[in-house]
Amino acid sequence: MSATHEQIVAVVTDIVTGELGLATGSVTPSTDLRSIEGADSVKVLRMISRIEQRFDVELEDEDVFGVSSVHDIALVVAKALIPDPS
Amino acid sequence: MVTGTLHDALDRAAAHGRDTRVDFPSEPASITLGDLADSTRVMARSLAAAGVGPGSLVGIFSQNAPEFLQALFAITRTGAAACPLPLPTAAWDLAGHAHRLARIVSVAGIRDVVVSSRFRGLASRFNGAVGDVAFVRAADLLAAAPPPGRLPLVDAAQTAIVQFTSGSTAAPKGVRLTHANTLAGIEAISEGIDLGRDGDGGGSWLPLFHDMGLFATLSAIMRNVPMTVWSPASFVKDPARWLRQFLASGATISPAPNFGYDQLVAAVPPGEVAELDMRHWRVAFNGAEPIALASVERFLEHFAPAGFAPEAMFPVYGMAEATLAVTFPPLGRPPVSVWVDRDLLANAGRVQRVPPEHPRARAVIAVGRPVRGVDLRISSPDAGELPADAQRVGEIEIHGDPVTSGYLLAEGTDDDTFTADGWLRTGDLGFHLGDDVFVTGRTKEMIIIHGTNFYPEDVEGIARDVPGVFKRRCVAVAGRAHDSDRDDGRGGHGWDAGPHGSDGTEVITLLAETSLDDPAARDRLAGDLRAQITGTLGLSDLAVCLVPPSTLPRTSSGKFQRLAIRERSWKPPL
Repeated sequence: MSATHEQIVAVVTDIVTGELGLATGSVTPSTDLRSIEGADSVKVLRMISRIEQRFDVELEDEDVFGVSSVHDIALVVAKALIPDPS
Repeated sequence: MVTGTLHDALDRAAAHGRDTRVDFPSEPASITLGDLADSTRVMARSLAAAGVGPGSLVGIFSQNAPEFLQALFAITRTGAAACPLPLPTAAWDLAGHAHRLARIVSVAGIRDVVVSSRFRGLASRFNGAVGDVAFVRAADLLAAAPPPGRLPLVDAAQTAIVQFTSGSTAAPKGVRLTHANTLAGIEAISEGIDLGRDGDGGGSWLPLFHDMGLFATLSAIMRNVPMTVWSPASFVKDPARWLRQFLASGATISPAPNFGYDQLVAAVPPGEVAELDMRHWRVAFNGAEPIALASVERFLEHFAPAGFAPEAMFPVYGMAEATLAVTFPPLGRPPVSVWVDRDLLANAGRVQRVPPEHPRARAVIAVGRPVRGVDLRISSPDAGELPADAQRVGEIEIHGDPVTSGYLLAEGTDDDTFTADGWLRTGDLGFHLGDDVFVTGRTKEMIIIHGTNFYPEDVEGIARDVPGVFKRRCVAVAGRAHDSDRDDGRGGHGWDAGPHGSDGTEVITLLAETSLDDPAARDRLAGDLRAQITGTLGLSDLAVCLVPPSTLPRTSSGKFQRLAIRERSWKPPL
């Protein structure tokens, strides 16, 4: 599977917008998700879960701590999509 | 008086049933009580060889995994006390979390932290920001092949666990629990639900660093009851899947805060409920945050077709200071609630029952009677202890074997938690009615969201430094949702904040002065405030209200008048 960064960003943006109930176009790759009212930890985890399902990956907790934008999430997804060398 | 220690109790349970398991399906991993007892003796000697012993306080930094429990018992075997440390959740600012841990480490004087293999990497990313502590992997303690030696005899009066769930980030307070406290608390929980009946099993997705998750698990262990501990993320990400796994595990008992029951209702479509078999779920603890009658009723109605018994819903009142349990309802009783006049309750502290359709009706859920070993009284500043038939609201005070005798505090902090005659002031408001205690609100400036406590002063501490705030002037108040349709038992005391959380939960309202006029710049400032506060504290239920410069009321000494703002004698100029 070889999604480009732009493709991942597009899908992640879509899920973030949908899960947080925001207007299309209101989230850019660099929007700090924590600045969005009501984006509590439960919604963020739900969002991560949807993203995992869509890309069929499991994101490591360690990587998810500290992510604050669509761009960050896309990087974590991209890392998870790299085939395990073993 | 309870004698013995936590690890003695583990050893007794293991001697009774070596093969009883604690399962961790999210890892996946599993440990038997026999292995838990044996491995922690080895680990304790490794810790002791590293200088840990009576008087030490050792941190635990671990997800829900066998390593958490191993660390706990290994630490207490050395005579030291264990201090479960909070883990960050998704999207938290790691630097903010490191800062929070640093405060705890400094107040507690922690030098060593036992860390799980999974969190070793994260801990190394703290890069010394947590202070001068050594992170030691649980697996390394086990593999170290320590020299054989005797471990010290530990007395029931020694501190076993210090829980930092109380107190703000700026001034953390560690609840000190002795071995005697913890064993009395575990006994109270176990007796209150007759834990250990044939076929009993426990299931929890609460973090083990949280008092409710920890003592639920320890109670199962001590009564030789099989226990399954999921990760909090596995519940939150997919509550319906968790529910199916929980039911399939055969567990009969589970703890959760009120919001967990809302999540389950939302996650299982009505058409799929009948496929579930919930008949064996006999105790569903509902605690750790205000209980909403609407949530309870929705849950009972939604899951009735699956055979969930109304008497299994178990609304309880407790806190870390009491080794968890304070009051439990009688076993086998469906939830009980009363409707009272909200305004009389909030303004006059009077309990006046009204019909549910009354315009000022507010529901309050009964949380039962004091558990074994806990004495409870309700006091008011003017009238002292209120008689049980006073129909008045007062502060709940507790006393007894499971109750802490004090806190670990930052230097220079005063502790006014105890009354002159030695009772612990809980900071919670409540009243007696019949044989039940009802909890109505809080005297403390604090809110609880998803079982976590948040303090306005921490919000102010962060907001002050955000560029755009006029002369660092801001005030945060614990304001709660007061949508009359949703006023269903979440407490009526407190600032009647206009803005509130999306689902009627408790909120903190931040009022910040700014001289910015441009709407876009103001939006940016509000967003920055929210991002900083959410990132550092993990608090997202925050309402931000920007006000013109020099409008927040101040006392002559320059302190902001939080009280005036809370009591609505001052309104923000908009």
